[in-house]
Amino acid sequence: MNGMAMACQPCMNTAEALRWIAGLFEQDPEQVKAETLREEIPAWDSLGVLTLMAALDKKFGVLLGNGEISAMKSVNDVLEVLRKNNKING
Amino acid sequence: MAVTFTQAATIRAITSSVPSRRFDNLKDATNFDKDEVEKVVRMAGVKTRHTADDSICCSDLCLAAAKDVLKTLDWAPETIDGLIMVTQSPDYFLPSTACVVHQQLGLSDGCAAFDVGLGCSGYAYGVWLAAMMLQGPGFRRILVLHGDTPTRFARQSDRAVALLFGDAGSATAIEKSGPDKASKWWFSLHSDGTGSRDLIIPGGGFRDRFPEDQTKHFVHMNGANIFNFTLKRVPALLNDTLAAAGVAKEAIDYFIFHQSNLFIMRHLANKCGLAMPQIPLTIEEFGSTGGPSVPLTITRGKLNRPAGRGLQLLLLTYGVGLSWASALLDLPSEAILNHVEVAAGTDSASA
Repeated sequence: MNGMAMACQPCMNTAEALRWIAGLFEQDPEQVKAETLREEIPAWDSLGVLTLMAALDKKFGVLLGNGEISAMKSVNDVLEVLRKNNKING
Repeated sequence: MAVTFTQAATIRAITSSVPSRRFDNLKDATNFDKDEVEKVVRMAGVKTRHTADDSICCSDLCLAAAKDVLKTLDWAPETIDGLIMVTQSPDYFLPSTACVVHQQLGLSDGCAAFDVGLGCSGYAYGVWLAAMMLQGPGFRRILVLHGDTPTRFARQSDRAVALLFGDAGSATAIEKSGPDKASKWWFSLHSDGTGSRDLIIPGGGFRDRFPEDQTKHFVHMNGANIFNFTLKRVPALLNDTLAAAGVAKEAIDYFIFHQSNLFIMRHLANKCGLAMPQIPLTIEEFGSTGGPSVPLTITRGKLNRPAGRGLQLLLLTYGVGLSWASALLDLPSEAILNHVEVAAGTDSASA
């Protein structure tokens, strides 16, 4: 990275990211909080995991490690992936 | 590895084959509720599949295809110098399925016949091996047979695979052609055994010969890890092959993807900057038939073949192993494409 910080591009704040995740799983945005668990979101099943992976790749260019995929148990885990990849700025 | 090439071979004919029994996911699936089936059908894109009963093995499917190819080309069995059988669902652990088919086709004892244990990536590997053999002396005509019966190792209660798989076989007739006449075929071949457990039949082999848990005789798939593998590997496979060959995307008539799952193929197409009309699809009609989906898509993917001009095809194959490979080759305008169905009750090995 030549010592330069990775640009936050595209960039969201946490509220926008929560709305994006809600839309991905066809959930009411009011119902999706950071602490919402995967099992509370019906569409986040095995097919939903593929949807999430494809969306992270398409929108943010983020590819996960296999360990990260199985470790995602809550909305906060998705937010953490976005933060780690510098896609959330507040 | 570096991308490699051969310059010795021509495709004369390809025949694909499927069992005649047809399964309509929306009408015939009873193991899952309707909404669940509709969701899987919508995402994976599999509406119908052709499925083998207990009497049909991959050898039966490939035998029917091979007989069709020999008849179409009027090739006498004794003129075949090599038979490469690519499968992950062999008739037996031993002998090799290639030898079973060798006998059924009445090939000569001067024919080299052997199996290659690869699945979804197998067609590119099989064609590469044939092309390599034809570069040396002694070989003139080779049959590459690629068949699998994944429905026979899919647990019908496993939603990840039960609605996805179909069965298919194929025979590709490849003939030696002088370097002045043959075009270059480019291949890029890869493996990553760290994902070997992401798509596995854990029981029945010599690691666990007679498992108490009968589900170990069926395939276990970590769909997320497999998808992750394709996201990381397939775009690079495509780009590296084209770069090595010095060929632009625009020069490719069709990108023949392993028909893994419509959602995955669409995403890969988008990621690789390809338009869907460049990607023939057969998954809706035949399901994911493993590696044989590639020759099946060449014969049944409604390729537009202008008279007098061959097609440039980039085959992109990837899956179990993990293993992935490309083949950039030409399909001559004279090459004959055909498709046959195999009736249930066809047990050619005991015929």
